[in-house]
Amino acid sequence: MSNGTPTTAPGRTAQRSAADRTQLQTIVRRFVRHRPAMISLFVLIVIAAFAFIGPFFWMWDHRVSSEILSNQPPDSTHPLGTSSAGHDVLGQLMRGAQQTLKVALTVSLCATAFGSLWGATAGYYGGRTDAMMMRIVDVFLIVPPLVAVAALAGNTKGGTTWSTIAIIIALFSWAQIARVVRGVVLSLREQEFIEAAKASGASAPWIILRHLLPNAAGPIIVAATLLVAIAILMEAGLSFLQFGIQLPDISLGQLIGEARTAVSTRPWTFYPPGVLLVLICLTINFIGDGLRDALDPKQTMVRR
Amino acid sequence: MLVYTMRRLVGAIPVLVLASILTFVMVDISGDPLLELRTATPPPPEAVIEQEAERLYLDRSMPERYWLWVTGIGGEGNIGLLQGEFGPSTQGQQYEIGPEIAERLWTTLRLVGIAMLLALGLAIIAGAVSAMRQYSKLDYTLTFVGFLCLAMPTFWLAGIVQASGVEINQLIGENLFKTIGDGRYGAEGAPPWDQFVNAFAHMALPTLVLMLTSFASWSRYQRTSMLEVLNSDYVRLARAKGLRDKVVIRRHALRTALIPLTTVFALGVAGIIDGTILTETVFQWRGLGDFFITAVENNDSYALMGWLLLSGFMVILANLIADLLYGVLDPRIRYE
Amino acid sequence: MINSLPSAWQAVSIAGGSVYVVQMLSGVLPYTGQWNPEGEYEYNMDVLAEEPELVNDDPDEGPFEWKFTFDEDAVWSDGTPMSGEDLRATWMMSASPDEGYCEGCDSRGTMSADKIEEIETDGQTATIRLKEGLADPEWESVFDAHSVAGGFLPAHLAEENGWDIDDPAQLGEYYEWLHSTMPEWSGGPYQIVEGDLNTEVIKEPNPEWWGDEPGLDRIRMPFNDDEGTFYNAFVNDEIDGANPADYNEDVFTQLEGVDNANMGIDEGSTWEHLSFNLEVEALQDVELRRAIFTAIDRDDIASRNYEAGYPEYELKNNHIFGNDSEYFVDHYEDETQGTGDIDAATEILEDAGYEIEGDQLTLDGEEVGPFSLRSTDSSVRNTSVQLIQQKLAEIGITANIDMTDDLGTMTAEADYDIVQFGWSGSPWFATNPEQFWHSESGSNFGGYANDEVDELTEAVTNASSLDEAADKANQAMEVLVPEAYVMPLMADPNYFFADERLENVHDNLNSSYRATYNIGEWTLADQ
Repeated sequence: MSNGTPTTAPGRTAQRSAADRTQLQTIVRRFVRHRPAMISLFVLIVIAAFAFIGPFFWMWDHRVSSEILSNQPPDSTHPLGTSSAGHDVLGQLMRGAQQTLKVALTVSLCATAFGSLWGATAGYYGGRTDAMMMRIVDVFLIVPPLVAVAALAGNTKGGTTWSTIAIIIALFSWAQIARVVRGVVLSLREQEFIEAAKASGASAPWIILRHLLPNAAGPIIVAATLLVAIAILMEAGLSFLQFGIQLPDISLGQLIGEARTAVSTRPWTFYPPGVLLVLICLTINFIGDGLRDALDPKQTMVRR
Repeated sequence: MLVYTMRRLVGAIPVLVLASILTFVMVDISGDPLLELRTATPPPPEAVIEQEAERLYLDRSMPERYWLWVTGIGGEGNIGLLQGEFGPSTQGQQYEIGPEIAERLWTTLRLVGIAMLLALGLAIIAGAVSAMRQYSKLDYTLTFVGFLCLAMPTFWLAGIVQASGVEINQLIGENLFKTIGDGRYGAEGAPPWDQFVNAFAHMALPTLVLMLTSFASWSRYQRTSMLEVLNSDYVRLARAKGLRDKVVIRRHALRTALIPLTTVFALGVAGIIDGTILTETVFQWRGLGDFFITAVENNDSYALMGWLLLSGFMVILANLIADLLYGVLDPRIRYE
Repeated sequence: MINSLPSAWQAVSIAGGSVYVVQMLSGVLPYTGQWNPEGEYEYNMDVLAEEPELVNDDPDEGPFEWKFTFDEDAVWSDGTPMSGEDLRATWMMSASPDEGYCEGCDSRGTMSADKIEEIETDGQTATIRLKEGLADPEWESVFDAHSVAGGFLPAHLAEENGWDIDDPAQLGEYYEWLHSTMPEWSGGPYQIVEGDLNTEVIKEPNPEWWGDEPGLDRIRMPFNDDEGTFYNAFVNDEIDGANPADYNEDVFTQLEGVDNANMGIDEGSTWEHLSFNLEVEALQDVELRRAIFTAIDRDDIASRNYEAGYPEYELKNNHIFGNDSEYFVDHYEDETQGTGDIDAATEILEDAGYEIEGDQLTLDGEEVGPFSLRSTDSSVRNTSVQLIQQKLAEIGITANIDMTDDLGTMTAEADYDIVQFGWSGSPWFATNPEQFWHSESGSNFGGYANDEVDELTEAVTNASSLDEAADKANQAMEVLVPEAYVMPLMADPNYFFADERLENVHDNLNSSYRATYNIGEWTLADQ
């Protein structure tokens, strides 16, 4: 058997599990040394603060107001201008970033948690169980998410909230994680420390939770980070195809989709959401990269 | 290996069945296509609506319809997968799902074929260079460009590429790039050179978009596995033996490092059908992505099922090929 | 360029019934007449020998009857003369399957065809008789550019392919063939020489065309459903013009800035309206409905949507007739509805016993609402529902916005409390009132029922002259408006653009053909 994802070498990580603390310190030290990742982390924190704390300090929220004139270019009352319906673009941007981050983080958490458990269980038991479980994974890799969105969007009462979108994206993302984790676990379970745990009478859930998953943490964390970026882009794509979050709520994807034709007519609605979204994805990718380097003992050791 | 292949293909059948049931149910609850008719001005008569319902077998229950779609037993001869029929479309009697999919597959393949090859080449080079010069300026630049491509929503990137194409045209005063359509009637009967120019003009921009979005993640994979190989004992041994860098890299490192990429590539190609949805919309190509969107919009369950079969089959096939290739490239792996 | 994909090769069927199919067939399908951009009806005197003649317009004296006579020169592109048989075949294919003329035909609009008892043909003459007691105020319209087929179809091709049009099963096969086969035939100045339903059609002059010679040698009509691409494609010389189905402020202003673009914008044929679902108990109170409509500021909605590109927008004060129609009567002149006057709305509510406690409206201590406010996802409607939501909050009513992409399901199941959507019309109006407001109509989604309105709308459909029909329609609206069931907002503007090197290209918002309505007259500017 094989798995399609290049993984780090969990075996070596595992052998060192005794020295947990020092290992963690090494990882942190390595990550801090990764300059792009550190800068990215800082930028991302700033964006998150803007999205979650910003609205408390800004007078306009994301909704229309009859006091807001339509289509005004940026000025002192509306630093990013207004939309044609009468939104304050800055207010929309904060809310949009907030909802987008909420969607992305929820997707990443849910999909990673479920996917790793699923993948680890399949990998641990192997044989028929493994085959069955991985066939189900295949099903979710095949069914197009858009169909699910179309099915659910029209049928959820009260419209498509950010959580609906998050659940749908998560529903179709966990399968990838499960594949990755299963691959790692397949090679882990043959190793001595798992044999030892089995011999000492540890239960299967215990082995999976206490031994297998922590030792697969590296690839899992990296995949989870990247999933955040993927989820953001997926949400944007769904919004573009008009399957996005429900009005008057707004996400970055919605904002970008709405202002797609506005590049030369109302640039203040076109650039900010796009730049913000690209920035978020970019920083997350760099953080993922930094984590990967930090978690993989082989790569940073040698500098030629 | 043959036994293994057969086993995998047989194993794929339940997956496809499950996926098709799931999709069928979801399409069914996403809305009744017939009710669209009622908002037409002036309204179509009740008899027409009934007749349409009958044509689409909507007078039967959902499980019955699914069974009918698979077997065609009790149908009008236009449905039943086992009889080679894909079923009636909500988009009218004249819309034949089978031929439509075949034609659009050709359109999509034309679009992605070249894009994928270019992206692969670019990914291998960029990934290898990045790994060999890890943490150099070049590595950072390539990484940044790659991440930037990964960070941009496809339709945004496509819009920018489209606008830049127009800019370039105006700059050079010639209509080098076309922004919409595949230009299939543009140069019929013209000399081969004109045909080539026409095809190039229409393909260049969407190909670029697809290439940029695919190359980035592949080159990351290539970089990772290349690094792993470069740090491995045998490469170090080869170096220690005094082999020149170039030889080491070409003969040993690159070859080994390509193995994981093969897998990722095979999987990526399978996913490309979904990946073209946005690109096809922006560039107005009528490929499978567009087919899929239209089917979703029209609640066209049988058309979606056809699409699903094709894309599902491609995913399964690509997975299989990836695994088999893995075995070919890496002699340590054997399939029993 | 055509704004979306045609889904079939002819427009009669449900699948083919879109303006895009009609526009694709411009210059190919012959028709007996059409409304011109100025709102005047013109007979197509290329095809007809004389103006159609109304033989009998009083159903009491015998069947309502009229006559078309074709010009002797009028021929299909294979040389076969146009004849009354063509009209008869078109009628039988447009009629409801219940009439039994055509097996498997699924005409999308059968109302006027089903009134016809028989069509008697004599060479180039066709005499059309309605069923006993029926009248049709729009009798000229049955085979014109606005009819279900967008014109009329040839009958002789059925025979050529071995089908007998008087055999329902064979006519059904002919019908399917017409819809699934690219027409190589033509009855107009152009014929389609190449194309498919996915990308484009290419037209060249019809050599058998007997009228004035068309001005262009080759016309490409690509199908493009992404408005974001219009500007680039136009600047890049890939398209020379288009008449988009939807107004988009950005695209419009961007194109306005292009030097070689001829632009036009005017009130289109689709109009936005709000209506209530009367099945909802709280909304059965007319005073509450009046108050809600009063609180909504129509002008604010229209101006935020259209000010930038179309500052000349006008509110729609008559459900059926445009502001420039001779039948126009302002039904909202003395109404508070649609003014956005919160004080007036509050007064109506308080008079009716409602109370506003804090920011919640109550009736007898019970909370009113929340209501679901639904619409489909378009930028105009997005703006509109958000403004409405905000206004209703001011009178203590919570409206939850819930957009859908499935208008058909939502309306047919009346799955809304307040809904905004659009109706589209043409200068032919007589079937609309009954469809919109008759208690038995399948399109009266909110369940409005009023005997007087029922009677009046039936009278509109069966009037024997347009004046009479219009009068009854206005009477119906007079009853309807104070009941605050439905409130028209504004007509969506439509724009078109064309390269300056083309001449005689302009929009016709009275016709589904839009700018292609006079395709035979298009020429290059330097000719």
